[in-house]
Amino acid sequence: MSFSTFVTDKAGLQKLYEAIISKHETYAPVEKFGKYDYKKVSSLKECDPDSPIAMTMSVKPLFFPRSSKIMKYESNSAGTSVSETEDDHLAVPRVILGVKHCDARGLQVLEAVNKWDYIDSDFQKRRANTVIFSTRCDKADTHCFCTSLDYDVENLDATDVALVNGIGGKLYIQARTEKGENFLKENLEKQSAVGSQQSAMDDIKKQYEAFAASFRLKMDYKDVNEKMSKRFNSPAFEEASRNCVSCNTCAFICPTCHCFKISDVKIKDTGVRYKSYDSCNNVYFTLEAGGHNPRPAKYRRWRQRSMHKFVFYKERFGVNLCVGCGHCAISCPVNISIFDVVNHVASTPVVL
Amino acid sequence: MDYSNQIRDIAAKLFAEGKIDVFVGYRMSGFDDNQVPVVITDPKETSVLVFTEKSVFNLTNYLKADHTRNKRVGLVVKGCDSRSLNLLLTESQVKRDKLYIIGVACEGVVDDKGNKMQNCMECFIPDAVVYDEMLGKLQGKKDYIVNADITELATKGLVERREYFEEIFENCIRCNACRHSCPLCYCAKCCIDQETSTLYNGTNTSSSAFHALMTWSLHLAGRCVDCRNCEKACPSHLPLHLLHKQNEKVIYENFQNHLAGVEEGDRGAFYKYSLKDPDDFIM
Amino acid sequence: MEAESKDKIVSIEKPELIAPPDWKPVIMGILCNWCSYAGSDLTGTSRTQYPPNIRIIRVPCSSRVDPWFIIKALQTTADGVLISGCHPGDCHYISGNYYARRRFLVTKELLKMVGFHGHRVQFSWVSAAEGAKFAQVVKKVTDDVVKLGPLHLYKKENFNR
Repeated sequence: MSFSTFVTDKAGLQKLYEAIISKHETYAPVEKFGKYDYKKVSSLKECDPDSPIAMTMSVKPLFFPRSSKIMKYESNSAGTSVSETEDDHLAVPRVILGVKHCDARGLQVLEAVNKWDYIDSDFQKRRANTVIFSTRCDKADTHCFCTSLDYDVENLDATDVALVNGIGGKLYIQARTEKGENFLKENLEKQSAVGSQQSAMDDIKKQYEAFAASFRLKMDYKDVNEKMSKRFNSPAFEEASRNCVSCNTCAFICPTCHCFKISDVKIKDTGVRYKSYDSCNNVYFTLEAGGHNPRPAKYRRWRQRSMHKFVFYKERFGVNLCVGCGHCAISCPVNISIFDVVNHVASTPVVL
Repeated sequence: MDYSNQIRDIAAKLFAEGKIDVFVGYRMSGFDDNQVPVVITDPKETSVLVFTEKSVFNLTNYLKADHTRNKRVGLVVKGCDSRSLNLLLTESQVKRDKLYIIGVACEGVVDDKGNKMQNCMECFIPDAVVYDEMLGKLQGKKDYIVNADITELATKGLVERREYFEEIFENCIRCNACRHSCPLCYCAKCCIDQETSTLYNGTNTSSSAFHALMTWSLHLAGRCVDCRNCEKACPSHLPLHLLHKQNEKVIYENFQNHLAGVEEGDRGAFYKYSLKDPDDFIM
Repeated sequence: MEAESKDKIVSIEKPELIAPPDWKPVIMGILCNWCSYAGSDLTGTSRTQYPPNIRIIRVPCSSRVDPWFIIKALQTTADGVLISGCHPGDCHYISGNYYARRRFLVTKELLKMVGFHGHRVQFSWVSAAEGAKFAQVVKKVTDDVVKLGPLHLYKKENFNR
């Protein structure tokens, strides 16, 4: 099934954004302390949908919040009662502007684990009610390697609407899903559809080629997947993780990391049960109640992280858990990139 | 400021003489002109070592890692790093005879954009205070300057300050990177770790961030050396130095000009007292 | 003699919030075992009245008070905190209150910077013989906090009012 493509210019796009913000609940990157995070906005002035990828947090918290209430409980002489928390403010119909392609892909990857043995209905509901407006980057950042992974960045179907910068100030708005197509029909006025016009398609293709050529990092993910699966006992993990400070930043800002912990915040007889982020780089992550820790050393935690991204998830769900956004390397205080780690491990001899 | 060659030579010599097992230094990141820390155990690798004004990270953080525990370590320290090392030595976290310290007379380091870092502009101890070997020309102590941001904040009203800090705590994602990258936060279990915190066991809300950051900064008051590892690690780019610099200012002005780690054997401002400490705020 | 709040009391840190008419402040009192707690006992035995808004916790020494206690109190029930210990030089443990004094000053200044009013956290030296002074101190702290209004900053989830 093919979807429509529209052409517009900068002013037209501004108008479209303004119309969306006035009509729908909209989230967009907002700058705080030099870092962009997705927040609810009421006017276009507050936000910057063209925020640079290196300075923008992932869109994951809008679907899997940093801390979400699961339930409330109360116990009294009559027994214990459990109640639902208030309405989920993230499950209402909404639009997210300025999403990066890799972030959108991250949500698609997460869908697999959220539909697995336990179906996370909150996540599904939030996904179903959201229209994602993504922008294809023009240039790769230092740590980006999205084109080297197992998804089609050019025709990404994880996003509903994709914006592509053409030549000479032209902007192409492409619907990528049915939801996006319907949304564009409702919101676009007097925009010219290009359909399958050859010149426009060439333009879009050219932009992608220029973008793909700007990557510093390139790898063959199939090769890495295969080699990693044979190197569980490789000493290279120890070398690669030596200067990690175990600060957990990488997992908290990763668009696909989904480990969480459950905690009760209680006062006397009432309490709230929370679900919040956790990180496998944390010493406490695998600590058992009896005091035994199966992953006491740093390299074992790093091995878990990189093997989960490139081997275990792939074996179970058929996709890589890494989307190549490079956020972990940008935010890491000592600039360890998962790209370097997996490539270093893959290049060492097999250890059985 | 470029001591790359000297440091390479010293590291190679130390390995050759068998004085150290591990060397902690800086290397080029490999993709831009920034530097990253490197932990070297193989004498052949000493050629990657560099030291310029891009060598930002405080390496004493690595003294609490598995690779350096109970080993003979050689490391490079700037002025601020050596102050934190001084505190670690007094607090018996590392043994002096197991360390070979290369001190640097630091002329200030720069951030990613190439601007001199704020803490270097206000630095009062540019030279390393504890070392076995010194590189560069000694500059001597400078005057203490109150942080410019703190001076500016003091002119603002109560409500304005509250709004500013509410924003900071709201943007905190509670990853605890600040605590883990701090060289002086060596406790195996910390009261702000989400797993052990009794008040907020595991939530990432703004009140939990307030709780964690305030408790953390008060536990570091009188010990913080302003190396800004925490700010470098913070994924939300929060101005965490405000909390520490405020404490430092109050301590300097009220407790006999105390500055953390400047003198050997210093244990931080809260481990000593004077009869002349201010009393007028107490009824 | 309970401190009555007047109509339209606003929180000084968040002027947009108006306290409910039946709002009464809660003061957390952390008293040292040897002087201030005995002093508060004397206030009681000598039948001196003081506002009942204070909730007293006994600690061995004022230096037992971690700044964390103050933060925790402010984040849960308390609208204000009063910490009281022996006069300088009178500490049962020789020097505990000298150490505590340093910590209190830094804690108070930091809380003031992040947007708490200085009167939210107060300190006093009350000896075992100063029953009258203790009543006075509690009255002053309660009056101050009534003027400041309820505390709404960074309250723990279930304590949001």
